[in-house]
Amino acid sequence: MKDIIRVKCLLSSDVETLLNQQIKKEAHSSAIYLSMASWCNRNGYDFSADYFFKQAEEEREHQLKIYKYVLDMGGTSISPDITNIKLEYNSFREVFEDALDQEISVTQSLKNIAARCQKEQDFVTLEFLNWFFREQREEEYKARRALELFEVIGEEGTGRWQIDKHVGQIAYNSEA
Amino acid sequence: MQQTLTVPKINFTEVFSTKNGAIYQSDSEGCWYIDFAGKLARFDYRNLLKLKKAVYQIDIEDRLLNSTKSADLEIIFICACDHCYVLSLLQIIKMKELLQGTFTMLELNHIIFDRLHRITA
Repeated sequence: MKDIIRVKCLLSSDVETLLNQQIKKEAHSSAIYLSMASWCNRNGYDFSADYFFKQAEEEREHQLKIYKYVLDMGGTSISPDITNIKLEYNSFREVFEDALDQEISVTQSLKNIAARCQKEQDFVTLEFLNWFFREQREEEYKARRALELFEVIGEEGTGRWQIDKHVGQIAYNSEA
Repeated sequence: MQQTLTVPKINFTEVFSTKNGAIYQSDSEGCWYIDFAGKLARFDYRNLLKLKKAVYQIDIEDRLLNSTKSADLEIIFICACDHCYVLSLLQIIKMKELLQGTFTMLELNHIIFDRLHRITA
């Protein structure tokens, strides 16, 4: 008996489901960053708003990358519906704390998919995920660095204004 | 003049069967035939997955506990597929059993293929 399902699709149904969950997660991240950009803009932190707009764009790109991968491998990618996006934040700092939390949870869920791929010996998807792990290194670094600014600059006086100015300059350029 | 009707020869392999039905695979056509609820229906890869999703989505427990007087029938309609099923709750349970068995056998077949191919390669 032929293995017709394998001929049609490279992904197992479990990995496909996990990838679809990840698509949703990336879309959710993108929406959260947009909401953060809105909050920052409304409260006068224009550089941070720009930073979050850029982040939202990046998350959207990640989403599409997985979306197209699932389709290319013969699977079904599902366009997610996104709800429950936080609109208000208690403080400037809280925005960045949430951003870091978000990135950590994305890394965790990518690790979860990779673990599943390893178990199934799906080396193709595992190799595809490598790009995302590299990307997460940068994302987590940037989010952590932004929070560090709150420590080193301090929020007193014109502190928040200074922090906002420096957020836009955060860059990760490790060659490793 | 005598006309002879030639029926195309299709080789079926039984994937899984229960008392209530069976699913066969046709390697040459790359599809499956489901013998259930009194008919034999042809399903290709996409439609088989859609059927699985449609059947698995039915909350059987909820239907069992539901005490309203509405008919205990479910219409399983699949987009872009020629077939549709109108099943009672008992038939849905049987259909689900059949599909679960089938997908387990297909998975098993995949594992065997995977291992064999890797050795011969």
